[in-house]
Amino acid sequence: MPIHFDAVSFTYPGTQTGVSGVDLMVEDGELVALIGPSGSGKSTCLKLLAGFFRPDHGRINVDGHDVDTLSPERRKLGMVFQNYALFPHMSTRDNVAYPLKVRGAARADRRRTADDMLERVGLSGLGDRATKTLSGGQQQRVALARALVFEPRALLLDEPLSALDAGLRVAMRDEIRRVQRDAGIATIHVTHDQEEALSIADRVAVMSDGKIVQVGRPDEVYDRPRTRFVARFVGQANFWPGTVCGPYEVDTPIGRLSHLQEGSRPGDKALVLVRPERLDLYFEDCKTPPPNYFKGRVSQDRFLGSIRRFDFAVEGTVIRVETRDRAAPMAVAIPPDAVRLLPPGDNE
Amino acid sequence: MRAITGAYLLYLAAPILLLFVGSFGATWTGTLLPSGFTTEWYVEVFTDPSFRRAFETSLIVVLCTCVLNTLIGLPLAYAINSAARAGVRTAARIVSLMPIAVPELVLAFGFILVFSSDTLPFLGTTWLLVLAHVVLTLPYLLNVLLADMASLGLEDLERVGATLGASFKNRFFDIVVPGLQHSLMSGLITVAAISIGEFQLSNLVAGFLSRTYPVVLLQAFYGATGFACAATVVLLVLAMLAAAAGALTARGAQTR
Repeated sequence: MPIHFDAVSFTYPGTQTGVSGVDLMVEDGELVALIGPSGSGKSTCLKLLAGFFRPDHGRINVDGHDVDTLSPERRKLGMVFQNYALFPHMSTRDNVAYPLKVRGAARADRRRTADDMLERVGLSGLGDRATKTLSGGQQQRVALARALVFEPRALLLDEPLSALDAGLRVAMRDEIRRVQRDAGIATIHVTHDQEEALSIADRVAVMSDGKIVQVGRPDEVYDRPRTRFVARFVGQANFWPGTVCGPYEVDTPIGRLSHLQEGSRPGDKALVLVRPERLDLYFEDCKTPPPNYFKGRVSQDRFLGSIRRFDFAVEGTVIRVETRDRAAPMAVAIPPDAVRLLPPGDNE
Repeated sequence: MRAITGAYLLYLAAPILLLFVGSFGATWTGTLLPSGFTTEWYVEVFTDPSFRRAFETSLIVVLCTCVLNTLIGLPLAYAINSAARAGVRTAARIVSLMPIAVPELVLAFGFILVFSSDTLPFLGTTWLLVLAHVVLTLPYLLNVLLADMASLGLEDLERVGATLGASFKNRFFDIVVPGLQHSLMSGLITVAAISIGEFQLSNLVAGFLSRTYPVVLLQAFYGATGFACAATVVLLVLAMLAAAAGALTARGAQTR
């Protein structure tokens, strides 16, 4: 069932922190990732939705109904906490069956439904185990099963993968996505890990200083960020200050770049963005150089396994490049469609 | 180092060992060790009406103190822990720790002043004794409970309980109380151990017929040495049982 944040503002009592003017629509079955640095208000949004705090202004709707007057236990929202918050004195099955117990389900029904749910998250047969004997990934699945077993109206995930080690985290992403698709409910996933957000979400909402800066499909946010902050938060980037000098041309410290972006007038200041993996490498000098062709040399080389990230020195400045190639190029070219012009004001 | 430790342990243990030896000695006057062997002193302690009464009073006081501590301590610790403002928590903790910092004598005089008045003439009743023990022991239980609440992450457990549809009552009895059962047990055993051995406050507050065991024990030292030793050993065994039970429960809580 859809979730709708309508101009929601909230300030923690006695502080300046909180969220302001948050508008967000999450459709049925959709997974929206809320990302941002710590303190940007993403967890606060989740806590407001869960009902731990009440907005100062604005409304939160679930399935068309204002939920702001409801206490958390009456909102029917499944939530997975960062530390899972499994009940330590209950078995795995009793943890999963707890939402059914407080709703007055009969013992046999509870047991059957909980076991079914454990099977759906790939934990069949572990119902009798104490939760502390389970691995981190298994505890995560128990928390997910418990949050979904009572058929909640929406699913709230608060940094659910941050306590797992890197390899398991990637596997659990797919697992969460699979279970969420299976349940077909609106889901908000809070994370500070941009890669996790881009890989798992239907749409990504980037937050900064209590506001949502940009919402869009992961590729949109990555390829066409609206500000320098968004561009930097979702990935590596080259930034150069620029001055528009003609249609589809911009002057930068590394030279004149041609681009394909509409809507700029000569004389306009701009911030030029180029993603490091978008550059073309040349290992011999090119007789008929492509647009935005720069000769130079590799000044810093970092081997990261699957890719190499190096600095390419060009006339006193550097271009950051990512590539799978092992050889050192003698020139690079920036395809015009890889050049993005952002508003200059955002100096963060 | 080892020699010092050994000497210190001997210094600690010697009086206790002597008590033990003395309680089985037939006569003990002026010598280092008693002579003869008898269990008569123990029989005498158990048949002495004032000791029996004191023993029973002590058990009643311990039991009531534990029950009242649970009824007051659990909700109070919960309230302190969930108080939203950090300042409130700190203030509540300081207030709850006051009875530990204030000398028992001061506390006792306060009790005497208040409860010997005509409006509140309760001095000398068992109930007042229980109340005094509760005031004295509650901070210990609170401390144990508050520490456990923090290490359990009770706030998150309750929040997740709320999102899962548990009402306040559900959460308190399904999550808070079972989660705290081990620390409640070990806290109560500390409470029991303190209550069993408590002398200063009881001596001043107890009435003639509601004297606790340690208070009556003082009388024993005016009589035969063997009798005093036997009576003390009984108290020692009681206190040690409580302490051992406390240690075991605490270990059980750790391996939870």
